[in-house]
Amino acid sequence: MATNNDTARETAAAARLSKLDTTHLSQLKRAIESARELGDKLPKDLHYSEEIALTFRLTASAGRRP
Amino acid sequence: MTDLAFLGIADAADLIRACKLSPVEYVLALLDRISRLDSRYHAFIHLTADLALSAARQAEKEVAGGNWRGPLHGIPCGLKDIIDCAGLPTTAHSKVLADNMAMADAPVTLRLKAAGAIMTGKLATHEFAIGGPSFDLPWPPAVNPWGGNHFPGGSSSGSGVALAAGMLPAALGTDTGGSVRNPASMCGITGLKPTYGRISRRGVLPLAYSLDHVGPMTRTVRDNALLLQVLAGHDPEDPGSADQPVPDYSADLERGVKGLKLGLVRHFYAEDMQAHPEQAQAIDRAAKVLRGLGAEVREIRLPPLQDYATCTRIIIRCEAFAIHRRWLAERPGDYGNLARQRILDGAAVSAADYIDALRLRGRLTRRTLEAFAGVDAALTASSMDPACRIDDAEACARLYPRQARQPFNVTGQPAMAIPAGFTQDGLPLSLQLIGHPWQEAMLYRIARAYERATGWTERHPPGL
Repeated sequence: MATNNDTARETAAAARLSKLDTTHLSQLKRAIESARELGDKLPKDLHYSEEIALTFRLTASAGRRP
Repeated sequence: MTDLAFLGIADAADLIRACKLSPVEYVLALLDRISRLDSRYHAFIHLTADLALSAARQAEKEVAGGNWRGPLHGIPCGLKDIIDCAGLPTTAHSKVLADNMAMADAPVTLRLKAAGAIMTGKLATHEFAIGGPSFDLPWPPAVNPWGGNHFPGGSSSGSGVALAAGMLPAALGTDTGGSVRNPASMCGITGLKPTYGRISRRGVLPLAYSLDHVGPMTRTVRDNALLLQVLAGHDPEDPGSADQPVPDYSADLERGVKGLKLGLVRHFYAEDMQAHPEQAQAIDRAAKVLRGLGAEVREIRLPPLQDYATCTRIIIRCEAFAIHRRWLAERPGDYGNLARQRILDGAAVSAADYIDALRLRGRLTRRTLEAFAGVDAALTASSMDPACRIDDAEACARLYPRQARQPFNVTGQPAMAIPAGFTQDGLPLSLQLIGHPWQEAMLYRIARAYERATGWTERHPPGL
């Protein structure tokens, strides 16, 4: 699916990138296409029990009273 | 002069400690060499000659007074220019941060200074450790001293070049998707990406928080162990830092590999990607050398290389874009073309894909560590190809993803690139060794045995 200029402008606006010129928007078009291709390569069988690799943790010292 | 240029940390330390080499003489010799060579190789962004000489005089006084601090005392050292050194700009090789003065030392810089190392300058990088080699930045890209006008790898390009050209015996790089090991491979030097959390990353400009590592770069294995010894340790203010004991990294260096079980990850460079024939043969020969030294080498299989690449690329894109979004919103034209493209790539990735990449990371890490269960360490390719010409943008773009380094940024395991011979054209070939988490000492032991058997690290670029 080809990406058009409107899609690039919409993506730029969503990312709050308001100062991109035409060269930068062309780069963003390539980024959109590349992101699609990369996303398609992710495995489709990830189970909900497979958590993210780095999970937020509190340290032991965080529970100490001052 | 030539002797001082390629003197390693260990040998220089012995001479300095015995007052047979003056740190001032050493620094002056290297500064003279840098002044003659760097207009051609562009390893330095900021040369700190006056500061280096002043620190060298101080080191000389201390050593003469019987206050030798250790093997780094009086040793010239350079920092990739994304690492803070108080009073110097941290530019990231970018117009965006050309005037970004560091107010404090990064903990790694502090550790080096406390060990008596001589800060000699800030070294070239790919812009923000992601966009290079680029010719549209305020400073030219570093050039490989091997070959005519070749790519030195990156992003820690200046570090690799300064070592290979005999301008410095020690440098720091950073490695998010292979950026210590790539220039090590292309420049024929030794570079370690330690275990994630082994070295503090505070005061270092991030590329992707969850994949960033700082790593020691040297010419020899022994020197690398000496440098890691100073850098390793817990930093409670770096959220990624781990509170793990720091062993003596030099203790087992000469133990050899007899009886060790080593996994050969051949499918990375023979099936998942087809390495350049000379590079593939170099790794197969390395396996043979290690067998000859008494190691048991057998093939092991990890998940396909492409799975790690997908995982790494999505994570780097998203985390880098989050870090750069505000600068990119205000000053998109101040980025070089390559860095802007690679950072903009993250604007288009969905949050769900980023989360899935992090979940994939967990799966890949589990499967990798399972495959390592029966071996002491593994070997495979670092780069699939030798260096290409730096002025051939298409060749550089092709070369960039042809590597097997990213898997170990995903898993956080220690991995090092060491020289493994040369092509018929005289360009460096390399070997990657990978260990269990926190087992850097095992990598040094294997690398040292291989280095001793082959002598590759004793070779230097012709004419230098």
